[in-house]
Amino acid sequence: MAASIQRGRLPWWGWIGLVVGAAIMAAPLVWTLLLSLKNNAELVGNSGAALSGPYTLENYVAILGNDRTLRWLLNSVIVSLGTTVGVLVLCSLAGYGFARLDFPFRRTLFTLVLLGLAIPSQAVILPQHQLFATLGLHNSYPGLILPGLITSFGVFFMTTYMRAIPKELDEAAMLDGASRFTIFWKVILPLTVPAQSTLAVFTFLGSWNDYWWPLISATRSDMYTLTVGLASSQMNYAQTSGLGFLMAQAVFASIPIFVVYVIFQKQIVRAMAGTAVR
Amino acid sequence: MRWMLALIAAVVLGSCSQAEERTGLYIQRFFGECGSQYGSATDISKAEGECGIITTMINAFQAQHPDLSVSQNVVAWPGYPQLTAQMAARDPPDIVTMHGAVISDYAAQGLLEPIEPYLREAGIEPGTFTNAARGAVTVNGRIFGMPLDTHGGLWHINTRLFEQAGLMRGGKPVLPNSPGELVAHARQFRERTGKPYLIQSLVGDPAGAARNMYTYMMAQRAAVFPDPKHMRTNTPEGRRVADLFRRMTAEGLGTSNMDTPAAIAAFMNGEGGIYPTGTWMIGQFETEEKTRGRPLYRSYAVLNYPRLWGEHVVFVSGHAWVVPKRERTAEERSAIARFFRFMAEHNFDWARTGHLPAFQSIIDSSRFRALPHREDIAPLAEIGRTLPSYVQRQSAIEGIVGEEAAAAFTSQKPTARALGDADRRVTEFLAELP
Repeated sequence: MAASIQRGRLPWWGWIGLVVGAAIMAAPLVWTLLLSLKNNAELVGNSGAALSGPYTLENYVAILGNDRTLRWLLNSVIVSLGTTVGVLVLCSLAGYGFARLDFPFRRTLFTLVLLGLAIPSQAVILPQHQLFATLGLHNSYPGLILPGLITSFGVFFMTTYMRAIPKELDEAAMLDGASRFTIFWKVILPLTVPAQSTLAVFTFLGSWNDYWWPLISATRSDMYTLTVGLASSQMNYAQTSGLGFLMAQAVFASIPIFVVYVIFQKQIVRAMAGTAVR
Repeated sequence: MRWMLALIAAVVLGSCSQAEERTGLYIQRFFGECGSQYGSATDISKAEGECGIITTMINAFQAQHPDLSVSQNVVAWPGYPQLTAQMAARDPPDIVTMHGAVISDYAAQGLLEPIEPYLREAGIEPGTFTNAARGAVTVNGRIFGMPLDTHGGLWHINTRLFEQAGLMRGGKPVLPNSPGELVAHARQFRERTGKPYLIQSLVGDPAGAARNMYTYMMAQRAAVFPDPKHMRTNTPEGRRVADLFRRMTAEGLGTSNMDTPAAIAAFMNGEGGIYPTGTWMIGQFETEEKTRGRPLYRSYAVLNYPRLWGEHVVFVSGHAWVVPKRERTAEERSAIARFFRFMAEHNFDWARTGHLPAFQSIIDSSRFRALPHREDIAPLAEIGRTLPSYVQRQSAIEGIVGEEAAAAFTSQKPTARALGDADRRVTEFLAELP
């Protein structure tokens, strides 16, 4: 599908459609950016004031003027990267196990993993919270990272991907005397880089944007992630009396995601187009 | 190597001795974070807005009590998911901000301490609270919160448009005294200004419609909650209220398609006569009143909801400081009492937000009455009524009542069906509670 959408093959009305579609998609983002660059008081009476100057960076200065903002940013980076690395390690190992190893109850266990896809995280939030309270893990990085490592989707995704890799590669490596771990590490894992990238991007984005678990696990402000921290900064009726600040917060929280997108654009587009899975 | 070990030991020992000298006081609050503006400010008189004033008050408390180590945790509005999680993890803060309507939920579960001992130690007599403030923090005869304020519905008025409509007398807006008079005033206003009399936020703002229902049903002495498990709004009294606002909306005398930001913007831009909302908007509208060139410049008044039926009462709630249950040392208890005392002493400063003070002496004081518009709204402390304290989950219930009432006001549902649905949904909800 991706190959068929090539420049030159699209008729003129197709291009118009694409431009209109892109404009519609970009409009709220541009609107958010413009609002974030306006003085709050100006916007209270008329949000249309965002369409004309003067513009100011005062809302961003206010965000960075909060001495905790950088701490929240750091927390988000640690939690998101920690979760992403953990998910990649665990899902790759689990995927290899389900795809390549023969062990008792393999099918049953894989079915259980698949069943996990049907269970929303909200359904287990109470026992999960109690478990972490018992373990004394709230308000800690492990408390924020560990729940994110349990991902049925990741295991399913990596298993499916690894199953599609020809077994002859394993057999050839075995003939050369490679151990199971060597096969996994040196033969299979390098072939799963596209899938790893896709899973990493989705995991990072999900973890970065997560609000619910950090809200109830990180209850001390020095352990807030950026999403919770920025929400705590909002005053009541922020949507009216602090609209510019609110939008600046949204833009600020999106910047790291934007950077990730720019760096991993290729993998994200592949993942969306469904070409990461063979 | 040796000097490095000595340095680490010195740092570790030094930090230990410093940390253990002072009693900790862990305060959790909403109202937003404004550290960039008020991070180290201690002059309360110069602070503005809820966030600025509360931040400066806590800074000032710390500055005046160097023997205490005050930690301030700002939570995302309204902070109850976090508080509940902290309680479940048996790690609640020492003092937390809480709405009066929520106190009964936590108190009924035994999660809050009655605070009479703290008040005694702080030298605060509960009898000095206003009736409305005391009512908001009292559950089954026990006081579970140190009231910070009373907040409730007010009619914010554009006096320039009222003048144009011929509804000013002696420099004061003339408000109706009956449902018929309300409709007559609204029609006159519409005829002379071409604008709606009421700016109503009926979209995504259940609190506004619920406030109308509670206020005017209470005025008719209707028992909205006859017992802890039932709600009754589909009654002659309830239908009278809903039908009145339905008529106002249907005739175009009140707006029907605005959410809160739209309604606030409409009022500030002079697009209607009255915006019924709460005490919390006074500061914002005062700023507009003082800004040359703005539609509300020298054209703003604020009054209590008018009496349309029976008794002149207004549904109110309030903010309070509560103390979650946990083990505490005598020093920690004393720190809480000192914090309450400080808050009581500075209750006037908090009242500059627009909320009504929790102490009658401050309401009666000349400095409070000298604040703009406060003389006009001061009676709210007397006429304010809370819901019965036996009603739990008042916030969730307000959402249901407001949603169904708004459906009735905007003719999306027949009145009887909307109010019947509200009663059924709330009663089913209450039946689920232990």
